[in-house]
Amino acid sequence: MNNSKLSRTGLYIVIFLVSLAVIYPLYVLFLIAFSPVRYTLDARYPLQYPGGLTLTNLLTAFKGFNLVGPALRSIETAFLVGAIALVIGIPAAYGLSKLPRRQANTITTLLFLVNMLPAIVIAIPISAQFISAHLYNTVPGLALAQELVVLPLSVFLLLGAFDSIPRDLEYQARVDGAGLLRTVYLILVPLAKAGVVSTFLLAWMMSWDEFTFAVILSPINPTLPIVIYENITRGNILASSAFALILTLPVVVMTMLLQRYLKGEFLAGGLNG
Amino acid sequence: MKEKYIPFLFLLPALLYVAYFSFYPTASAVYQSFQTPHAHFVLSNYKGLLYFGLSEAILNTLFLSAGALAIQFAVAFVVSSVLIREFRGKSVFTALFVIPFGVATVVAGFSFSNIFATTGGYANSLLRIFGLPPLNWYSSWGMDMLTIMVSDSWKNTPIVALILLAGMTSISPEIYKAAALDGAGPLRRFIHITLPNLKGYIAIALVIRGVSEFNIFALPLILVGYRPVFLTTMTYEFYSTTASVYYSYAAATVLLAFVLAFSLLVIKMRENH
Repeated sequence: MNNSKLSRTGLYIVIFLVSLAVIYPLYVLFLIAFSPVRYTLDARYPLQYPGGLTLTNLLTAFKGFNLVGPALRSIETAFLVGAIALVIGIPAAYGLSKLPRRQANTITTLLFLVNMLPAIVIAIPISAQFISAHLYNTVPGLALAQELVVLPLSVFLLLGAFDSIPRDLEYQARVDGAGLLRTVYLILVPLAKAGVVSTFLLAWMMSWDEFTFAVILSPINPTLPIVIYENITRGNILASSAFALILTLPVVVMTMLLQRYLKGEFLAGGLNG
Repeated sequence: MKEKYIPFLFLLPALLYVAYFSFYPTASAVYQSFQTPHAHFVLSNYKGLLYFGLSEAILNTLFLSAGALAIQFAVAFVVSSVLIREFRGKSVFTALFVIPFGVATVVAGFSFSNIFATTGGYANSLLRIFGLPPLNWYSSWGMDMLTIMVSDSWKNTPIVALILLAGMTSISPEIYKAAALDGAGPLRRFIHITLPNLKGYIAIALVIRGVSEFNIFALPLILVGYRPVFLTTMTYEFYSTTASVYYSYAAATVLLAFVLAFSLLVIKMRENH
């Protein structure tokens, strides 16, 4: 009994320390964004607690820098990436679920290989292709490239969602005279709703955060992560903090919403084969 | 007969997309790494890279990847052993712990560049509270590496922990009970039960994270710029600053070779066991 009490204390110490480590960098972001600069950036030893709260930093940043352009571009790209993930991913996942195991495994491996090819290796040759195709510095071009990061995972997530639907339901629909496309889109997709929504959100999120393709393929019309990077390198720390805040808030909310699906089984999905 | 091809029809968009946007550019990068404006199928780009510090970039990339993986797996094992147990506040802790997964790399880079700033940094301000002298977090190669490893691990430990947790959930508690009855302590249970049963999941986490570690890009770019040099930042530096884009193709190809070799190694090791 004593022993288990001791390990319980140890457990809570670990939890406390890990929580502290997780929160601290976000807390620093909060401090820089919301406390007067004399306590943060201008201090030789910045305060560990808010010396005061102010919106001046953010207001100056929003006034001095064009936030709307990059934010809109990030949003458009993220929605497009999410949409393409479903448009290509749903049929692909359905196809995989219908294939014999061996062939399905081959294709899964192929998709897995896509995730292993480094973004920077792909981005540089693509930039030349994009320039001639007028996709360089455009939202659709960037979305098409970022889709590479997202598609394999999307297909695995959707495959998992389809696999959990009883086969009989599908056969029943076919017997009742529904065509194949109708069966997939009007019966299976609604049943796999949770998986479909989480796939979209995860794709959205990964695009929202993506850096490598964005910096190489859309340097003149940058997305938010690129603007943050540029402002850090130029020493505009306050502006970066404002942008970083905007970039972080939606994903923190979405991570919480997606938590049910952020499970190891899904993230490792398909790689078990 | 026709039925057999239907799954492939559904998979076709995904396969075409992947072939055109992933495999073709990768092949083209490898091909062009052996070209110069004046000659074909030569090694001169690679020779040039050797002169510009290719070996250094390789060593740094390998060292950083190994160190970051070590930190992430060590912490992930601790956290997943916590998460496998039941305790009050578990759902809050889980929600908190996965937040960094959703936070953009540039935002993590922003926070950590302020934490590890040499003057006016939050880490030094903490040290002062404990009566310790300030540190120069970029004073040496080793410190540079450590700073990047810690920042990277903050963002990426959650995914490792979630995958390991999935593995631990799949181990029957009966085995642990039996081992405990036989007098095996926690450490022996970890070595003789947890580790062998987790092999598949460890391999998956190792491939997913290892490949991303080789591709680490935004974080070193923000924290240390182009020195110490890594394969990704070297590729980008040659792409964005020099007249010859062929050097960046060569650097990218080296990166690709390491990523593929690493993945093959892990997969082979897993098969041999």
